[in-house]
Amino acid sequence: MPVLRSIRERFARERPLDGVAVAACLHVTAETANLVHALAAGGARVALAAANPLSTQDDVADALEGVAEVHGRRGDDAAAYAAGIDALADGAPDLALDDGGDLIAAAHERLAGATEETTTGLVRLRGMDLRCPVLAVNEALAERAFNDRYGTGQSTLDGIVRATNVLLAGRTIVVLGYGWTGRGVALRARGAGASVIVCEVDPLRALEARMEGFEVMPALAAAERGDIFVTVTGGRSVLRGEHFARMKDGAVLANAGHFDVEIDLDDLRAGATGGVCEVLPLVEQHDMGDGRRLHLLARGRVVNLAAAQGHPAEVMDVSFALQALAAEHLVRHGAGLGPGVHPVPDAIDHDVARLKLDALGVQIDTLTAEQRTYLASWRA
Amino acid sequence: MTTIETRPTTGDFKVADLSLAAFGRKEIQLAEHEMPGLMAIRREYAERQPLKGARITGSLHMTIQTAVLIETLVALGAEVRWASCNIFSTQDHAAAAIAEAGVPVFAWKGETLEEYWWCLEQTVRWPDGTGPNMILDDGGDVTLLVHKGVEFEKAGAVPAPSPTDSEEYAVILATLQRSLEEDPQRFTRIAAGIKGVTEETTTGVHRLYQFAEAGRLLFPAINVNDSVTKSKFDNLYGCRHSLIDGINRATDVMIGGKVAVVCGFGDVGKGCAESLRGQGARVLITEIDPICALQAAMQGYQVVTLDDVVETADIFITATGNKDIITADHMARMKHQAIVGNIGHFDNEIDMAGLAKLPGVQKINVKPQVDEWVFSDGHAIIVLSEGRLLNLGNATGHPSFVMSNSFSNQTIAQIELFTKNDEYEKRVYVLPKHLDEKVASLHLGALGVRLTKLTSDQAAYIGVPVEGPFKPDHYRY
Repeated sequence: MPVLRSIRERFARERPLDGVAVAACLHVTAETANLVHALAAGGARVALAAANPLSTQDDVADALEGVAEVHGRRGDDAAAYAAGIDALADGAPDLALDDGGDLIAAAHERLAGATEETTTGLVRLRGMDLRCPVLAVNEALAERAFNDRYGTGQSTLDGIVRATNVLLAGRTIVVLGYGWTGRGVALRARGAGASVIVCEVDPLRALEARMEGFEVMPALAAAERGDIFVTVTGGRSVLRGEHFARMKDGAVLANAGHFDVEIDLDDLRAGATGGVCEVLPLVEQHDMGDGRRLHLLARGRVVNLAAAQGHPAEVMDVSFALQALAAEHLVRHGAGLGPGVHPVPDAIDHDVARLKLDALGVQIDTLTAEQRTYLASWRA
Repeated sequence: MTTIETRPTTGDFKVADLSLAAFGRKEIQLAEHEMPGLMAIRREYAERQPLKGARITGSLHMTIQTAVLIETLVALGAEVRWASCNIFSTQDHAAAAIAEAGVPVFAWKGETLEEYWWCLEQTVRWPDGTGPNMILDDGGDVTLLVHKGVEFEKAGAVPAPSPTDSEEYAVILATLQRSLEEDPQRFTRIAAGIKGVTEETTTGVHRLYQFAEAGRLLFPAINVNDSVTKSKFDNLYGCRHSLIDGINRATDVMIGGKVAVVCGFGDVGKGCAESLRGQGARVLITEIDPICALQAAMQGYQVVTLDDVVETADIFITATGNKDIITADHMARMKHQAIVGNIGHFDNEIDMAGLAKLPGVQKINVKPQVDEWVFSDGHAIIVLSEGRLLNLGNATGHPSFVMSNSFSNQTIAQIELFTKNDEYEKRVYVLPKHLDEKVASLHLGALGVRLTKLTSDQAAYIGVPVEGPFKPDHYRY
């Protein structure tokens, strides 16, 4: 994670977070540990809770002892998860780094500022009466390009393959949702030799999918065709009873959206009149009582984290670099930001991209003075 | 016999417009840079003149790239007479440049069938009354003409065309009838002098194997098509380039977002599917061969039957090498403004005759090689190049670099058959692996490719010579 490393080195010199209490609700992985180290190097006191009980890597949690206060173990129940959030909120943090919005929702009245990592979280935060500024890390371009499209695109398929060992080539994969993440999943699924169907509600995105050469159709029609279904909408009950009723025997259901509500688990269990059994770790077979079996991965939770190892480190490098710089920005300039969701400043986006290019050994061009003048005059 | 329309030509050639020669020459010079294999062969054999004494009849799309091939054969010592192997595929400026260079060429874009077979006949008749001693064929029409000529001369008569014969076969019969009347032993004499044929394409190769199996092959043949550096390059990468070029030039439709059906997933179909997908089309495949169908599925293409999708797809491309793939009934069921084109060698993949016979159907020419066919209910489809090779008819065929691979094989095959004729029987051969590898080697430098060399220890470990050949003959690449 070279980008975060270079930020960590600068933070150690400049100490921009000196004395700041940072609460972070993130997936407890090795990559997150690097973010925690960078924040700590900048002078922050860090408390960490697991954003998802299935994604916690316990060895990482152990290794952070002494650097940060860590709440949550792999496989915790809902109550333990809520307790972790409460513990962070009770610690009177100055800043919150969140993944899903639960922490900010619990603590926003006392925060100086926060950052949110996911689309799902931002949807929720925009719908509430926020009392502090929140930087939409998830909407930074560097984040979109890396985390959502390339990161989730690759790791979602990785999760499906690890959980099922299914060959993707020759299969029909239905991608529900063609946002940044859906684009990544569709792109990589095609690359693996799958035939890809996209389902959308947004006409512009649907048109984009069609122009990329993907087959676009309503989810009900796709339900009959798909071998593997991936929900990436941020919405709920995207796949529900009427879809399950039409699916082929052996269909695989996976969710790569943040919450476990995109696949309607109540409907699925209600339909499984023949019973539910775990055929492989993280693969639940639902016997639909009519000879068809549907395979739910990771109980409908985010499959790339639950069944694989989440994003590759270099993807998280970019995301967490944005988080670290956003935290610094909130400390330096947060007072000037009103309550509500704000975009990550362009300068931070560009900084992160520039650091990433340096890490890749890529050099780029700079506008000449003449070109800058030309562009400026054209705009005017 | 239809009379041949007289065109402004002088001397022993016939082209559309000799004044195009200067333009043709410029394009030939550009192409030479893109055809490093042929140019390397010219340099390698300049002294030895291995084709001295060869009288080559060539029947192959008279394009700029073919002009570089022709001039390579001439540079190696051959005498050449040339015609196109397709009525639409001649580039008139290329033909003009070749005619001006003194090579007898009989080709222009937009020949009638009668003119086409007349042109082929001219290429097998040398001014001194002799014929060729070598054939360089693409699709096997010259080979067919010679074989049928010999057959009918032996029988002493040309059969009358039967009602089931194609229009083109009737023209062949008429051509041979006229020849038989003029000279009852012409093709028998010509065939006796022919040392062999090198065949360019799948369709022609298929004919050769049929002749050979029936014991009727009159001379040895080299199947150039199945050189790896031909079929895996020309068919695949060439079509990948030129299919969409043809569709764009003909129609300018946005390919992204369209549903395209590619009939046939052989090398040509694979290239077509990749290029259409690369432009954002959703590509559907039809296949009869379970292996090719599975390959398509494993590459993420939906495999369907034409009947499933004929009413909903936007673009239809035939690449099967077979006939009656898209029938008149299919075309009538297609949606308004559907585009139909063929990239297989012959024009029988799309049933154009059947289309023309549909009651009330109307053909409206949009521009050369683009026709709108309006059905009686008012809806219409667009047919490219009258069902003939659209990448040649509507665009300029394969790019020079790809053709340099194919034509390097042709040239090497001509040298093989001509100089080592006694080593070949009346059978169909493919070029040996080391020559295939040589053709590839000749093209690496131009692309900046740096090849890794086996150590002698590594070579011994996998049991191949350090310099190759690197693969067994059955290796499929």
